[in-house]
Formats: sequence, structure tokens, C-alpha cells
Amino acid sequence: MTSCIRDKNIDRVVVAACSPEFKEHVFQQALENAGLNGHLLSVANIREQCAWAHEGDVTEKALELIRMAVNRTRLLQPVEEKELSVNKGVLVVGGGFSALNSAIQLSQLGLPTTLLERESTLGGRIRELENMYGFKTGPMIEAAEGAKNIDILTSAEVLEVEGKIGNFMVRIRKGAEEISRSFGAIVFATGYETEVTDQDFQLKPGVNIISQERLAQMLQASSPKGRPQTVGFIFDFYDENSRFPTLATLSNALAIKQKWGSEVYVLCRDVKVDSEGADQLYREAREHGVVFSKFEEKPRISADDGRVKVEAKDVFLGEDMTLICDLVVAEERILPPAGTKDLSFLLSIRTDSQGFYQDENVHLYPVASERKGIFFIGGCRGDLDFQRALADVSSVVMNVYGLLSSGKVVVEAEKVKVDPQKCVACLTCIRVCPHSAIQLARTEGEKEVAEISDLACDACGVCAAICPAKAIKFEGYSDEQILAQIEALGAP
Amino acid sequence: MIIAERKPMEEIKQMIAPYNKLLLAGCGTCVTVCWAGGEKEVGILASQLRLARSAEGKEISILEATVERQCEKEMAAELKDKVGEVEAVLSLACGAGVQTMAELFEEKPIFPALNTAFIGMPEKEGLWVEMCGACGDCFLDRTGGICPMVRCAKGLLNGPCGGTRRGGKCEIDPEKDCAWVLIYRRLEKQGRLDLMRKYYPPKNFRAVKSPGRIQAVKA
Amino acid sequence: MRGEIVAFCCERSAYPAADLAGKGKLCYPDNLRVIRIPCAGRVDAIHILKAFEKGAAAVLVLGCEDGACHHITGNIRARERVRYCDMLLKEVGLDGGRVGMFNVAPNETHKFVRIVNEMNEKIKESGETK
Repeated sequence: MTSCIRDKNIDRVVVAACSPEFKEHVFQQALENAGLNGHLLSVANIREQCAWAHEGDVTEKALELIRMAVNRTRLLQPVEEKELSVNKGVLVVGGGFSALNSAIQLSQLGLPTTLLERESTLGGRIRELENMYGFKTGPMIEAAEGAKNIDILTSAEVLEVEGKIGNFMVRIRKGAEEISRSFGAIVFATGYETEVTDQDFQLKPGVNIISQERLAQMLQASSPKGRPQTVGFIFDFYDENSRFPTLATLSNALAIKQKWGSEVYVLCRDVKVDSEGADQLYREAREHGVVFSKFEEKPRISADDGRVKVEAKDVFLGEDMTLICDLVVAEERILPPAGTKDLSFLLSIRTDSQGFYQDENVHLYPVASERKGIFFIGGCRGDLDFQRALADVSSVVMNVYGLLSSGKVVVEAEKVKVDPQKCVACLTCIRVCPHSAIQLARTEGEKEVAEISDLACDACGVCAAICPAKAIKFEGYSDEQILAQIEALGAP
Repeated sequence: MIIAERKPMEEIKQMIAPYNKLLLAGCGTCVTVCWAGGEKEVGILASQLRLARSAEGKEISILEATVERQCEKEMAAELKDKVGEVEAVLSLACGAGVQTMAELFEEKPIFPALNTAFIGMPEKEGLWVEMCGACGDCFLDRTGGICPMVRCAKGLLNGPCGGTRRGGKCEIDPEKDCAWVLIYRRLEKQGRLDLMRKYYPPKNFRAVKSPGRIQAVKA
Repeated sequence: MRGEIVAFCCERSAYPAADLAGKGKLCYPDNLRVIRIPCAGRVDAIHILKAFEKGAAAVLVLGCEDGACHHITGNIRARERVRYCDMLLKEVGLDGGRVGMFNVAPNETHKFVRIVNEMNEKIKESGETK
């Protein structure tokens, strides 16, 4: 192909073969090798979508597909690549487990990292989990503080984020002062909050009904006065996402058995053991005598002479059971951290139905957001367990490293482009761009027009479809190039 | 900005029924911004009309062109050659644009494809709301920058009607905010609530010269 | 006469689904013409109308599952736009239902074939392949 293109001075190529999904890049390389821009190529898919998909003679259809491709190819224009320099700095927002770990790993890879924490100290909620996962918070914080590549800002918050991947300008408030810094990428690891679902019981949480957090504190205290004889756990009636409450319940139930030797009852709809190690914990808890009881309806809870009466219908026995507990540990709801709503508005990034940050694509790119260069990891994107948070950390570190490590990125130049002559600055594209890649260019002395950032653009064409002035050209998928294929319909 | 919307298809079809060679003329300013008469809409309407004719088994030939502002004779004049080729023009401009075209090309029928609706602003992508009634006697200075003449369903100039619903909604349309509640809150913010106590005489609509004509004083 | 079905297929979902259908030799009517697009949100009303002008009997816009669009709301925009086009077509006397938007995941070959078959049945019934 390469020599043919060279010898015959060919300026555009149509390949009639298998699906472009398989070999398009190979053909593009062949064009490049011959000194022809790789975009001057169309592939007519006459195998998967023609020969293999139909019975009988489909030569006519194959010819038509080729005519469609030829029509499109006539109108193709080269798309050049260009190199843009990016800032290698990374901003990690948060001070908890995911934030600390990703900052440490990023700094080890040589990327200057800024850790920004809202509270006055680092650590977030890790301390509550020490017991559960058996690790120590101290060394992690020390490692972050000791790393020379990590700049730690505590009592600080993000006020504004402007710019694009490779060069975000972030306005930060630290204490009373405001600072502006530039970063190549931003990682949000703002964690989660919990709320005891006490209002469901019409009882205020107090001595008898407590949260997992309070229980963890009690367990850590060396000798609790008056060890409770009977402890009940209630969980999995609030919503389906109860990975974290499940783990907390299992490990704390086991800890009570081992430390206090109380009678422990767990009342739940289901025990979901999909988290790593949860199945093991469940077995251990049962072996140590924790009693699990399955119910479907919400248990009725009332005060009973300084103790707590729990009544529920056991599904397996089909009978009402009454449990008098000294202590009831109520389910906790996992909530997005305070300020998530404001932050998502500030960043123009969506949240999901429960208010957590929405993954760019649940299956393919879980830690990415719809804005290139902005990532969300750990608890702020939903109910995660420890292992999943760790997976997030590795994933984001690899993503960010891949983006910024060389200090340069190669992008397709002006693949989607606004014609400044036709643009009427109606702002429609700016409002609809899913990747916040379009801005009004305020060039001095010139007409204000929309301008697409090659870095932030993800080439979806939503803007080109909606532009009322037809001012946006998406090379390869322009109106003319799409309509040229339609023109070939039926025409021999 | 002037907000317009496309006329019902039946009306357009009737207007152009006798003609087989048409120019669809778009306007690149207000009506492009409000998605009613830009290059994109010209293309869609042209395609629709061709489909309508072919469904009737008839032919039609349509030229498409969009100028920056049809309400400027110099700009509309760019269409001269194309107008010469056709039997009639369907203009996707506001009323001012249609009339400029009609004056410029007196020998050809110029039809409006849009209904000019109001002067407004975008509330969000794809939704425009009326903001100004072009009354010729602006009094936004005393209403906290909110015009009760267009934003109050009853156009009241001296406070709300008394039918304001709970939550500051309009008695006529519970979806809409009561303009006077908005005005009160705005003036409250500015510490200018005393303005609410003032009465104003009925509005002098004679301020609107009809037909309107404004001669710039400065050169 | 002819009666093509033009399918605008998102290159992240329906296009690979179409490939996979061919690979699996799941036969579907040979009047289908696939046009590859980067996202269902790229398809504009004019593309759909012009396809009908050129004699297509039906148009399909096939994008990712709801919530799985790489470009967040491209597929949702496409659905709205298809509904709008259906209205535009009704205005000019073309019966409704000849343009449809469907969500097809990259591995949903059978769904892809079913959608094409159903549309083909529909146009046969209405005699569009006249």
C-alpha cells in the first residue's frame, strides 16, 4: 500500500475490507509511512457488515458501501498532531486514605504533588478504620509529610478551578489568605460522611443506640465500665449499597465477641460479602457465636427500662422475635462529603442519583470524570471498601502519570474547529459540551467567538450537531462528510 | 435579543403552495442564537419542504442562504442574485428582516417562516424568556432591574395583585414567579425598600411613537 | 424500488455490535446501511431528513446504554433529537415511527439484529419498500 501511494501519487485512500475497528490504525500507519496524513482514509466495512452479515449475493451492497466511503473520502482533510506542554504538578484534594496514598505514590513517581486538606490535620477518617483493617495511620501521614515532593496545605479549600487538563488554574483559600496555583491534573479524594439512620427509629442516638464510630471508640478504650451483656446490630435496611456498613458490622461484632464476650445479634436483610475478606469475616463471626437473623421489614425499636427492645419478624422461623439489648448499633448511611454539591457545580461535573461524583464510565473509566484531567477516587464516588479504594489509587496514579510524566501531550490539532467567521457566539456549544472544552475566546480587538481546546476536547461532535450557525466542523464527521455518504445511497 | 419561533408547517406550506422555486433566507443574528432561523434551521426547513412536496408527488427547487443580518439592506442585498433565480422567498428572519427583504426585492413575494415573539434572554440552553416589552419608557431603575410590565402576568406597575401564591408564585401561572415578589426581594437586598411605598401614575404609553423612529443625536 | 434503513451507529457501542453480529453470522436484512459516528449525539436532524430525501425508508440512531455514554449525555440528546425528527417528519406527512433511537451495548448483537429486523418489518408493512 505504502509503495503504491508513493509511486502513483495517491492523495486519499479507501480500503474495502474488514471492519475499521480491527485494522484501521494499521492502514493509517501505512498512509503515514508513505508521507500521507493518516486521516485521509476511509474503510468500507464489507466483511463484518456485509459479506458475513447476509446470505446470498451481496456484491451490490458491498459496491454501495464502497461508493459511500469514496464519497466521504473525497472530502477528507488532513488532521495534524501537535505537542502541547503540560504542567507536571498534581493537586490531590483530601487528606484521608485514598488521598494520602495517591499523593505518596505520585510523588514517588516524580510528580510534584500538593495535598490539600479541609481540616487542620491529615488523616481523615482513617483512624476509625484502623481497628477494622489492622493498619496504622501514623506511618502513612509521616510518609506524606516526609516526602520532599509533597506540599501539604491544611485548613484549605478549593475556591475556583479554571483552565484545562495540563494547565488548571486553581484558586485556593488557606486560612485567611487566598492563593492561586497551576496544576496539570486534579485528583479529588474527598471521602464520605456517615449519618446514623436514627430518625427511622424515632429515638435519638444516646447511650443505648450508638453509631459504629462510637462503638469503635468504646472498643478501643481499655476497660469499658459495665460491659454490655447483649449487643444488637441493625443494618441493610436503608439502601442496597451497604458494603461499608457490612464490613464495619462484621468486624465490630467479632471484636465485641473477642474483647467483651457479650452476646451479639446481627439483624439484617442480607449480608453482602462481595468485599474482599468479608466472607472470611462472616464465617469467623459465626464461628465465634455471633447470631445472624434475617428480616424483611424494618425492626420496631422501643425503649425498655433503660435497655432497648428490638422486635422483628424472623424470615426463616416465620415468628416474631423480641430481643432486649443493652446496646444497639444502628446502621449508618454513607453520604457524599459536605460541599460535594458546590464543588460539582464549580467544576461542572455531574453527581449521581445519590449525590456522589458520577464516574465517567462505570465500566471503562471509573476514576475519570467528564472533564479530562480531573479524577475522583475513593469514598467520594460512592460506597467503597478498602480494597476498592486501593484499586482507585493505583488506577488514578497510572492515569495521571501517563498524562503528565513527559511534560508533554500529543493531541490532534483542530479536529473539531469553530469557524470564527460563522460563529455568532450564541454560547450553545459552550453550554452543551460534555467535557467543558469550549470557551468564549476573548481576543483583544476581535469578535468574540467560541474556541475549542484541543486538549480538553474528546471529539464527540455534540457541539457540531447543535450549532445553529453550522459554524463547527468536525473533521472526519463533518456534515458534508456524513451527507456525502447518504448521497451515495442507491446511486449506482 | 429578538426571540422567534417557526410558524406551523401547514401555514408555511399554504404560503408557498403556488411556487416551485424558492429561496430560504436565514438570518445570522438574533434568530440564529434562538435556534429559529440560522443556517441549521434553513437546512432543516428546506429538507422538510422537499420531503413534503415529494410526498405529494410534486417537484420543488430550493436555494438556501443565510446573511449576517436581514434587517440591514446592505447585508440583505447579498441575496440579490439568488432572489433573481427564484419565484418567492421564505425568510427565516424576524419581522424587521422580512420587511427589509420585502422592501429590497419589491417584485418578489417575501414570506415569513417565523413568528417574532418577544425580546428575551436564554434561561438555559434552548429556553428563552421574555424580558422586555419595548415600552419606550424604561422604569427598571425603580423596580430593582425587574420589569413588571412583562414579567407580571397582569403587567401591574404598583405592587402585586394580591393573588400571589405561597412561595411567591403567580396566581395565573403557578410555574412562574410573581414579579413583584422578585422585585421586593431585590430591593430588600439593596436596602431600597422605600421604593415599594411610592406610587406611580399609569404608564404613559404615548412614549412609544408608533411607528417607532429614533434618530441618533450624536454623529 | 429501494428501501434502505440507514443506521447511524456510535463507534463505541452499536458499531462494534454490528461487527460482532456479522462475525457471529447473525443474518439481518441487507438493506441496512451503517454510517459510523463518534457518538449518537453527533447525529443532527439534517442527517436524518436528508437520508429520507435520498429515499431511505427508515433511519435508526443507535447509541450507548443510558448512563454509559462516553460523552455523558450524547445518547440522551440523540433520543430527544430523534423524537424531534419524528415530529418534523409527521409535519410533512411521513408517518411516524420510521425513525428510532435505541441503546445498544457493544456486546448486544442479538438486540442489534432484533432492532434492524423490527424496523424492516415495520417498513414492509407500511409498503415503504414500494
